[in-house]
Amino acid sequence: MRATLRVVTLGCVLSIAGFATADDHSPIKQRQDLMQDTRKAASPVGKMLRGDVEFDADVFLESMNVFLTVGTQYGDLFPDDSRFGEGTEAAPAIWSDREGFNKKIDQWVTAARAAVDAAPTTLDDARPLAGQVLRSCKGCHDGYRIDD
Amino acid sequence: MILVFVLLAAGWLLTSPGSGTDSLPSHTPDPENGEAVFWAGGCASCHATPVAEGRPQGNDKLLLGGGLELETVYGVFRVPNISPHPDAGIGAWSDVDFVNAMQHGISPAGFSYYPSFPYTSYARMTVQDVLDLKAYLDALPAVASPSVQHALGFPWSVRRGVGLWQRLYLDTAPIIGVAEDNAALQRGRALVEGVGHCGECHTPRNALGAMNSDRWLAGASNPDGPGRIPNITPGAADIADWSESDLAYYFESGFTPDWDTVGGSMVAVQENLARLSDADRRAIAAYLKAVPAISEQE
Repeated sequence: MRATLRVVTLGCVLSIAGFATADDHSPIKQRQDLMQDTRKAASPVGKMLRGDVEFDADVFLESMNVFLTVGTQYGDLFPDDSRFGEGTEAAPAIWSDREGFNKKIDQWVTAARAAVDAAPTTLDDARPLAGQVLRSCKGCHDGYRIDD
Repeated sequence: MILVFVLLAAGWLLTSPGSGTDSLPSHTPDPENGEAVFWAGGCASCHATPVAEGRPQGNDKLLLGGGLELETVYGVFRVPNISPHPDAGIGAWSDVDFVNAMQHGISPAGFSYYPSFPYTSYARMTVQDVLDLKAYLDALPAVASPSVQHALGFPWSVRRGVGLWQRLYLDTAPIIGVAEDNAALQRGRALVEGVGHCGECHTPRNALGAMNSDRWLAGASNPDGPGRIPNITPGAADIADWSESDLAYYFESGFTPDWDTVGGSMVAVQENLARLSDADRRAIAAYLKAVPAISEQE
């Protein structure tokens, strides 16, 4: 009896652990984490654009690489069963207008790739490239994110 | 019997529309300033004819045929045509007609406009800015779609009541006192309290739909949908630590200091603010930092 109880308890613990692991890596959680990565990457770029800090070509390139890496993964993280829950702000339009959503993701990746390929060395060269990337954020949020 | 008659007469007089103005100062209109006024006022956000793909973009913002429906607790307000079309729009209006509409809430036919048209804010504009705006609007494309009547519930459907409302709430005095010698604050106040009509969404309203100036810009329920319009005073938890530079950059770019993007009905407003001069965006930011701090729960 005691052995059975131990097995059942162990099973429960493993199940909970299993669920927790699955939850940590759910598409919703993954895309939320990736979005945080882009916000962190945008911060130093924004400070350079605003003139709050001096332009740093290496930091700029690092940030644009984050945008490119995230952008290439992001569109695959919206399976049908990830529409609700976990505080997602993904709008229903992502699933009802997947073509339009994919186009926005393409614009993001294209803009980020252009910035990475150009690897600008001056703020004047970096500004329009960063502008395209940042505009792609807004362009997608406007139609495909739920605003409270 | 006499008392009833007196009361009816008094009621009739109190609810009659104001007389407006019949003379204007001499002014040579400046359409270039009129364009700046147009974007500061966000005229297109309500008056541009809706398009199938969502919000009008680009030159579609200049087709002011109206047609947007604002679903509110009072009923449905239908935004009218203000393009220069002589019949469907306002192309036949005189300068006096336009100033009376914008600043006194009175139509050329003499009836009172509902304050969904934010003339209570525009009343704080200079007449010169209003005339410059008209010069700019006159040069936009004429749109032939006719305006459609509002569909309001009783008692709001009795338009005559708006005359009394105007007597109570139409006021040209500034809402917040700012230093007379601070040009940026003066400019910011003119933009926020006047043409920008920020208070119309960000300030809560009383039972009769007038802005509660004691809670100026302290946040309100969304006038035409679910959710809330945020508190933008320095007492707001979300933006208390935003600098003037943060605010100005948000107006320019649509990005918050922590790199979220503008959302909801503010998207269209931000797109308009992006067309202002940097000095004007900074003036708005300076004013918002100077208004009394009001906390969310006060």
